[in-house]
Amino acid sequence: MAEFSVIGQRVPRVDAKEKVTGQAKYAADYSLTDMLWCKLVRSPYPHARIVNIDTSQAKKLPGVKGIITGKDFGGWTWGWMPKTRDEPPLAVDKVCYMAESVAGVAAVDEDTAEEAAELIKVDYEELPGVFDPEEAMKDGAPQVHDYVKNNISVQYHWDFGDVDRAFAESYLVREDRFRTARATHGYLEPPAILAYYDPTGYITVWASKQSPYFHYRHLAACFKVPLSRVRVIQPFIGGGFGGTKNDSLAGDFCAVLLSKITGRPVKYVESMEEELVTSRRRHSFVIYSRMGVSKDGLLKAIQHRVIADGGGYTAIGPLSMYLGGFMTTLPYHLPNFKYDVYRVFTNNPIGAAMRGHGVTHTRFAAEIQMEMLAEELGIDPVEIRMRNAIDQPKPGEIYETINKVTLKTCGLKQAIKEAAQDPLWRDRDKMPKKGGNISWGVGLSGTSYSGGARQMGHQACAAIIRLCEDGTVNLITGATDCGQGSDTVLCMIAAEELGIKLEDVAIKRVDSAYTPVDPGSYGSRVTILAGQATQKAARQVKKQLLEVAAQNWQAKAEDVEIRLSEVYLKSDPSKKMPFSKLARIACYSGTGAVIIGTGYSSYGLEPLDINNGIGNGGTSYSFTAQTARVGVDTETGQITTTDFTIASDCGRLLSPIQAESQIEGAAVQGLGQTLYEDFIMDRGRTINPTFLGYKMPHALDVPSIKLIDIVTDDPDGPFGAKEASEGSIVSAPPAVVSAIHDATGIWFKELPVTPEKVIKALKERT
Amino acid sequence: MTTFYRRLPKFDYLAPATLDEAFSLLSEYKGRVKVIAGGTDLVPKLKRREMGAPEYVIDLKGLPGLDEIKQAAGGLTIGALVTIGAVESSAIIGEKFAILAQAAQSMASPQIRNRGTIAGNICNAVPSADSAPPLLTLGARLKIASGKGERTANIEDFFTGPNQTALGDDEILQEIQIPDMPPKSKGIYLKLTPRRAMDLAIVGVAVLVTPEDGVCKDIRIALGAVAPTPIRAKKAEALLKGQKLDGALIEKAARTAAGQSKPIDDHRASAEYRRDMVEVLVRRAIKQAIGSRS
Amino acid sequence: MRELNLTVNNQSYRLSVPPWRTLLEVIREDLGLTGTKEGCGLGECGACTVLMDGRAVNSCLVLATEADGREITTIEGLAQGDKLHPIQQAFLDHGGLQCGFCTPGMIMSAKALLDKNPTPTEEEIKQGIAGNLCRCTGYTKIIESIKAAAKNMEAK
Repeated sequence: MAEFSVIGQRVPRVDAKEKVTGQAKYAADYSLTDMLWCKLVRSPYPHARIVNIDTSQAKKLPGVKGIITGKDFGGWTWGWMPKTRDEPPLAVDKVCYMAESVAGVAAVDEDTAEEAAELIKVDYEELPGVFDPEEAMKDGAPQVHDYVKNNISVQYHWDFGDVDRAFAESYLVREDRFRTARATHGYLEPPAILAYYDPTGYITVWASKQSPYFHYRHLAACFKVPLSRVRVIQPFIGGGFGGTKNDSLAGDFCAVLLSKITGRPVKYVESMEEELVTSRRRHSFVIYSRMGVSKDGLLKAIQHRVIADGGGYTAIGPLSMYLGGFMTTLPYHLPNFKYDVYRVFTNNPIGAAMRGHGVTHTRFAAEIQMEMLAEELGIDPVEIRMRNAIDQPKPGEIYETINKVTLKTCGLKQAIKEAAQDPLWRDRDKMPKKGGNISWGVGLSGTSYSGGARQMGHQACAAIIRLCEDGTVNLITGATDCGQGSDTVLCMIAAEELGIKLEDVAIKRVDSAYTPVDPGSYGSRVTILAGQATQKAARQVKKQLLEVAAQNWQAKAEDVEIRLSEVYLKSDPSKKMPFSKLARIACYSGTGAVIIGTGYSSYGLEPLDINNGIGNGGTSYSFTAQTARVGVDTETGQITTTDFTIASDCGRLLSPIQAESQIEGAAVQGLGQTLYEDFIMDRGRTINPTFLGYKMPHALDVPSIKLIDIVTDDPDGPFGAKEASEGSIVSAPPAVVSAIHDATGIWFKELPVTPEKVIKALKERT
Repeated sequence: MTTFYRRLPKFDYLAPATLDEAFSLLSEYKGRVKVIAGGTDLVPKLKRREMGAPEYVIDLKGLPGLDEIKQAAGGLTIGALVTIGAVESSAIIGEKFAILAQAAQSMASPQIRNRGTIAGNICNAVPSADSAPPLLTLGARLKIASGKGERTANIEDFFTGPNQTALGDDEILQEIQIPDMPPKSKGIYLKLTPRRAMDLAIVGVAVLVTPEDGVCKDIRIALGAVAPTPIRAKKAEALLKGQKLDGALIEKAARTAAGQSKPIDDHRASAEYRRDMVEVLVRRAIKQAIGSRS
Repeated sequence: MRELNLTVNNQSYRLSVPPWRTLLEVIREDLGLTGTKEGCGLGECGACTVLMDGRAVNSCLVLATEADGREITTIEGLAQGDKLHPIQQAFLDHGGLQCGFCTPGMIMSAKALLDKNPTPTEEEIKQGIAGNLCRCTGYTKIIESIKAAAKNMEAK
């Protein structure tokens, strides 16, 4: 008999049928009769004072039902921490980035709303802008916000060990400057909301939010409505990837306020260009990296000075800066680490979170730098990693880094071994190095990412399992499936714990009127934390049912087993009944019983030490070793990626099809941000705000991807699970850049590596 | 822009049933009208408010006789309404004018190719238009019609600037006429893009070689995306005409072609890179064209 | 206003719409068939792909009035009652989707491909979906799904 009856099965998603038939409804698919459409008026300047807004012409347009400006929000601002609440729903005195919203209009149809938006006349006084974070830090630069000095939005200074001494004692030290792309999430669904402000003081929204409860708190605070009267209903979400859809947007607040004013539901849907220009993007990091190693290639110290482009407001910036540093002490032994990070306000679009948050940037720098040192020392890339990699802790043991990040499992060495034995790496010298104009190369990376992340503030989550009288079960949780498949995994966990079939577990989208509060989808926390809550809720229900069965058979509860919807006595399997019968017995006993189980997550209770970088930022860490093969056309600089092999230690893959698809998708996102994706800016203006200009990979651009599953069965995740897939967005960029080096002999430190950059570098070399 | 649009601007739509009707509408509404065929250039432009909204949009798709690929004496005609997809899959074009089929195949996406027209690609006249360099090498002629009658123009004279053509306000491009290539001619279209789908050409190079007795009897080289319009690299052609095409000569011609290009710096690429790539692509295209027997 | 006769998923509709309405808007808003999605609105992502007279088109670029008298197939037109089309079934079985937003357009492009070329190579599959962006899956399982669908459909 297999160890698990549901966990680990290759099952389709629980919501696949709705999606393949087009029945799944996303935010923009919702309509209400009497609905108005909202349109936003946005600033054509990246930095400007708002002198006057004249709405008189727009008001006269037939069909216009409401117009609002910044003042209508009464000075309310929001932000990720109490001291960073710098962002107003609509700009009030000035705008801090191009296309920041200054007014909103609601009209009977979207055509009219667009026409009305054109008629709203805004007078601006353009202010000098600042667009380079390193320039923005200098004295005399234009100030974006008055409440900080030198435009420094966030800064952390961590010092573990003694890096200066370590560098002095190092055999070899390198200093390099790295830069990561101006990248964005690139989901296909533009943010949208349908909002209704009921005259009794009850707000209902259908909104594409991967953290619906952040939004419910924002709405409650903005509109001074109790949380119990804010209902955020989560439709299907067309991709999130952490960032914009975790936060609230101008359009959300405007839709709700306009609904309040007009008494009618209001719908707001962004255009994709609007999304690409105004959304919260992945921060672009400049990393000054210093790394020292011994003669044997053992890491002695890393020093990172990071300057991040924060854009016009703070948003989740503090967390981004923390994440860029706290895990630099993984996945290799690091005895000394210094981290100085500056998130800098500029008049560019807001820098915020994206998958592989923070770590992607600095791990790229550290991996490449370690490879450069290995090359100088003449040490093989696999060898240098094996010498430095953290070992799998023995059962019961915990590995602790110098900044007190702890691990109970670490499959990195196993992952590196298996990636190295895979033909892509193993036989790389047997493959041709040159074919016509193409130079071939293979690269390797070894990386890590955290799961079960927590932020600040309310981080708990819960699950309720409700047994229906026919033996089917409802799983009710605030955990959000933004497309990653968490609904499926949670149902599998519930089914496994209860001992029933997956198809007997039903889950619906989050609805804050009914589901328990939850931080939402980010930092790979849902499987681990909501999974644990689900396990506990299921166990509570199971306990009650085992008692009923035991009573029924006059046996002890410990003797009762439930598996794949069959209930039986372990000591006498002839005593059995279907689960549905047990449910009926339990529910109809006496005048009837209501069988409910509740569970709360309890992993990772230490608070996040965001200022000092000490301690864990998550409950566990995945480890990924990846190889990549690329062909570089040395005459045109074009790069073709043919193969990826990705060996991932995700603890245990609970839902393999979903996990694999995620690992593949994340690796392709990583590839995109390594070779193709970058917003080109001109003094705050985005020059390429379309999918033609912001180049995400198409089917023809992706390599063949082979996955290797490394099982380490982590004790801090349901059924041994750790995070899956943020690991491969971290592993892909260094593996690809390493492969490009193998093909050309050139180390590229600025992403993306475009064909033109390749040719320029090849030219400079000769 | 101060607002982002999801809707098209308002306009009136007219669907003439005859060419004469179309001409009279174009005259009557001169300056306030745009024609639509595939819509794959017009609709995005209107949506992004890149052009002033026209009062009238005239649909050419109801006009008879414009949607055929026809073999004519001494060549082929491609009607104004023939889609890029139809050119891509046309057996006769694949056989006789493969260079044009290659260009069609490289454009945008299957969905766009099912709607967009070759005529539209030329009339939109972006410097990187993929059908232009091949048509330049093929010496295509354009049959242009208006209420005043018909005229035929050489494609070389058609492009007058970025997004500008010699097509008058009251004129319609009716068909593209391609003369038969001399026997044994071989054409190659190479398109340089960062990704393998959807991208505009950073550089587009079309080469058409007619070999005879081991010598290059005729050669035409056309460049896209490296000048205000698609152009012929005639100095480079002159170097090769009547010559035996050896490596050194091809390199020289490629360099000369690069010298004839006038690329700009933009966010897609620098002028220097584009110029360098003209040389690379011209060299490759010539070698490919002579490398394989036609 | 334009008076249109549209056939969508074998059902006839008589509609009166302004000339500047796109086919995508009419499908979604007038006919209530929200399975077809608006992604970029500019023909660059393929989320809005429908079949028009059997050919895959970006419905965001087609004026509704241009579809007068044509046969349109949307994602809602593939299943036969409860029975999924083999392509839908294959995507479900092989995990060719995550968030599902690109899925309707992707499936329609796959259908257009397989209707024309029932035994495509992997390269031909990639070319067939070249106009459909997916940000979630990295395309690997989408390609596997289409391969499986081709096999299943050939077997029939």
